[in-house]
Amino acid sequence: MASQTHTNATNVDQSDPAGGDDHSFRVEGISKSFRHVQALKDVSLAVDHGEVIGLVGENGAGKSTLLNILTGVLQADEGQLFVDGEAVTFTNPREAADYGVSLVHQEQDIIKTMRGYENLYLGREIERLGVLEKETMRKEAQAFVDDLGINIDVDERVRNYSFNERQMLEIAKAFHVSQKSENPVILLDEPTAALEESGRQILFDLVNDLRDRATFVFVSHELDEVLEISDRIYVLKDGERVADMATADATTDSLQKAMVGRETADEYYQVPDQQRETDLGETALTVDGAVYGDTVGPVSFSVREGEIFGIVGVEGSGKQQLGRLLAGDLVITQGSVSVDGTTLESPTVSEMVDAGVGYIPKDRKSEGLLLYQSVLVNTSLAMVRDMNGNVPLLDLDAEKEATIDAIEELSIKTPGPNALVHGLSGGNQQKVVIARWLAQETPILVMDNVTRGIDVGAKEEVYRLCRELTDKGVSIVFIGDELPEVIGMSNRIAVMANGEFVGDAIDASPGNKPTEQDLIQEMI
Amino acid sequence: MSTSSISEWITDQREQRTLKDWIQDLGPFVMLFGLIITFSFASDRFLTEGNLIDNVAKNAVTLLLVALAGTFPILQQSIDLSVESMVLLTGVVTVVLISEFGLGLLAIPIAIGVGMLAGLFNGIIFTKLKVPSFLVTLGTLSVMAGVGKIITGGSTITFRNPAIRTISNGEVLGIPNLVLWGLLIYVGTIVLAFRTKFGRYCFALGENERVVELAGAKVDRYKIYPFVLSGLLCGTAGVLLTLRISSASPNIGSGLMLPSIAAIVMGGTALTGGVGGPHRTILGVLVIAVLNNGMNLTGIDSFIQEIILGLVVVGAVALSIDREKIDVVK
Repeated sequence: MASQTHTNATNVDQSDPAGGDDHSFRVEGISKSFRHVQALKDVSLAVDHGEVIGLVGENGAGKSTLLNILTGVLQADEGQLFVDGEAVTFTNPREAADYGVSLVHQEQDIIKTMRGYENLYLGREIERLGVLEKETMRKEAQAFVDDLGINIDVDERVRNYSFNERQMLEIAKAFHVSQKSENPVILLDEPTAALEESGRQILFDLVNDLRDRATFVFVSHELDEVLEISDRIYVLKDGERVADMATADATTDSLQKAMVGRETADEYYQVPDQQRETDLGETALTVDGAVYGDTVGPVSFSVREGEIFGIVGVEGSGKQQLGRLLAGDLVITQGSVSVDGTTLESPTVSEMVDAGVGYIPKDRKSEGLLLYQSVLVNTSLAMVRDMNGNVPLLDLDAEKEATIDAIEELSIKTPGPNALVHGLSGGNQQKVVIARWLAQETPILVMDNVTRGIDVGAKEEVYRLCRELTDKGVSIVFIGDELPEVIGMSNRIAVMANGEFVGDAIDASPGNKPTEQDLIQEMI
Repeated sequence: MSTSSISEWITDQREQRTLKDWIQDLGPFVMLFGLIITFSFASDRFLTEGNLIDNVAKNAVTLLLVALAGTFPILQQSIDLSVESMVLLTGVVTVVLISEFGLGLLAIPIAIGVGMLAGLFNGIIFTKLKVPSFLVTLGTLSVMAGVGKIITGGSTITFRNPAIRTISNGEVLGIPNLVLWGLLIYVGTIVLAFRTKFGRYCFALGENERVVELAGAKVDRYKIYPFVLSGLLCGTAGVLLTLRISSASPNIGSGLMLPSIAAIVMGGTALTGGVGGPHRTILGVLVIAVLNNGMNLTGIDSFIQEIILGLVVVGAVALSIDREKIDVVK
C-alpha cells in the first residue's frame, strides 16, 4: 500500500505516542467491513490545526464509510480515533460533536419551514422549565453567525433564504454543534455538488476565512476544487489509503491515477477512437416546433440513425425539460415529435416507449431504478410491457436470458440476475438502467447526464457502450453538464438558452470539434 | 425451468440474509407450530378432524380470500380498508338476488361484479382524484356497510336453494368445496403475483412509481387493478360465505379487516410495499385462524381475545417493516 505516500513534516510527529502531538484529529488503522465487503482497510490519517484536507476517491472507495466513522454514525471494527491526542470513541454524532467533529451533509440538512436560529439550535434548544427561550436563542444565534462573518438573518424562515444562504447556515450549524471544542473539525461531504458557481465561490471564501478557527476535511468528486481549496490530499482506493500528498505536488492527473490505479491521462472520450467517423443513417427522430409552457421552445431538430446529438446549456436553460418532453414525461403544449416518420402529438411516456424512445433520467436513484428489486426485474421492466401474448403470463425464461445477456454485454458486476440493485456500485447501477432499454432494443435513447456520479472507469465503459450502440444504428440525444464529455461524444451539439436553441446545431464531427469556450460563449 | 425460475425469483430476492430475515421468514411457521402444540395440550377437541375442518379450515377460507384481496393493494404501497364491507355488500346482494329475484346461479357473477365495481370505484377515486387510498377506502368501508345494511332491512335475510348451496357446502373426496375454492384462488393469486405483468408492476409500483412510469407503463391503470381484484376476491368471499349458511345478516364480514391486514403483514408483505406476496399470506391466515379457534376452545374471554389479536397485529407489523427502506415513520 501507500507506494505513493509522500513523507511530509507532519509524519514526523506520528512517532510521538498518543498525547502531546499537535494534530487536532488523528485516526489510526481504521478497518471496517460490512458482512463480506471490506469497506475500509487499515486507514490512517492525521489533520493539523488549521489545515484544509482534501479527501478523494472513486465511488465505493470508502469515503462515506470513513466520514460515518469519524462522526460516530458507524463504529470501526479496528483502529482508534484521537482528538488533540486523546483517544476517543464515538457511539453517535452527538458525542462526535462534543469533541468538535461535525459533518455538513451533501444534501442540505435543514428544515425549511423553521427559522434560521431554530435550525441552528435544533436538538439542542435552550429551555427553561420546558419552555423554549426563543429570544435568548435568537440573540445568541445572530451573534454567533455574525462572529463567523456569515451574513444571514437568523430570524428569517429558511425557505426565504437563497440557496447560498442555506449553505452558509449549514456551515454555521456545523460550527455551532461543535462549539464546545476549541478547534472544531468540520467535514464537508461534497458540499459543492448542489451549488452553482457563485455559491461555490462563497463557500470557498468562507472556508478560507475560517481556516484559522477550524480544521476542514473536504470530500469531493471535483478534483479541480480539491486542488484549489486544500493544503493536503488523501486518496482512498478500495478502502485503503493509497496516497497522501501535499496539494502543491498534486495534479488532476496524479490524483486520478491514484484513484483509478492506472493512467487516464486522456479522458476516454477524447481518445481518437471515440471521435472516429460514424456512418449516419436515415432520420430517426424529428422534433418540430415543440413547446412546453414557458420553459421550452419552440425547438426544432432532427437526429439520424447512429448519431449522437448533444444538448448543452446552463442550469435553467430548459435542456432537462426538453429531455423530459422527448420522454413524454412532460406533455408538449405545441408542436410535435416524429419517430421513424410517425408523427405524435402530445405523446405520453407509454406512447414514446411504444414508438421506440427510451429515457435515462439524471437521478437514477429516484427515477431510474427499483433499488430493492433484482437486476432482472429492473432490466426487464420495459420489456415486460410487450409480454402479454396469447397466454397472459410473463416469459420468465426470456427475461432471464435478456438479463444475463445484458449483464455480459455491459459487464455489470453483480452476484447474479437475482441480486438486488441496491447492493451494486453507482456505475453498475447506471448500467442496469441502460440495460433496460438494451433488452428492449430501443432505437432512440434520451440520456440526461448519463455519467453523473459514476467513477472514471464506469464512465469509460458507458462511453464505449454509446459508441457500440450508435454503430448498430441507435440514435442518442445526449444531454450533459460536462462540456468535454458532450463535445467528445457528439456528432452535433445544440446549445440551449432560455428554452430555445441558440442558432443551428454546431457540427462536432471529428476534426471540427468546438472548444469548451465556443460553447460557453453561446450558453451565456 | 419455469418453476425453478419462480422459486428462484421468490427466494433470491435477498442474497444476504440477516437475523431479521430469518425471523420474518420462519416466524409465522414457528408461531403456527407453537400454537398448534399449545392448543392440542390445552384442549382435547382441538386436534379432532371435526374441529380442524369444520371450524379452523372453513373459517380460515373467508379470512384467506379477504387477506389475499388486501395483499395486492398493500404490495403497491396503498391499502384497501373497505374489504369487509365489500364482503357484506356482495353477500347481501347474493341472498337478495336468489331469494327475491329468483336468479339462481346468475346471482353469483352479478354479486362478484358488484364487488369489482366497488373496487373499481375505490381505485378510480384513489388514482384519478389522488385521494390517499386509506382515506378513500375508509370512506367506502362505511358507505358500503350502510348500503348493505339498508338492503337487509336491518335483520338477517335468508334463501332456500339447496342446489346452489352445494357450491360452497358440498365436498369432493371428503374435502369441503369451500376449502377447495380457497386453495384454487390462493394458487391463482400466486400466479398473478409472480407470473403476470400485473403482479410485476404491483411490486414495482410499491417501490417507486416514477421508475415504472418512465419505463413506459400505464401507471394509473395498474394502480386501479389491485382494487378491482380486491373487489373480485371479496365478492367471492361474500358469495361463498352466504351460500354456506344460506343467509346474510347485517353483520356478515364485520371484524375481518383487522385480522386480514395482520395476516398479510405476518406473511411478509410489508406495509411499505414492494416486498412479500400472496404466497405467504396463507401462513398469517392460519396463525390467526388457529389462534381464534384455540382461544374459543379454551374458553378465553372474547374481550381478552380482542386484546390478544390487537397485540399480534402490532407485533407483526413491528417485525415486518423494512427499516432499511424508510428513514422516518409518520
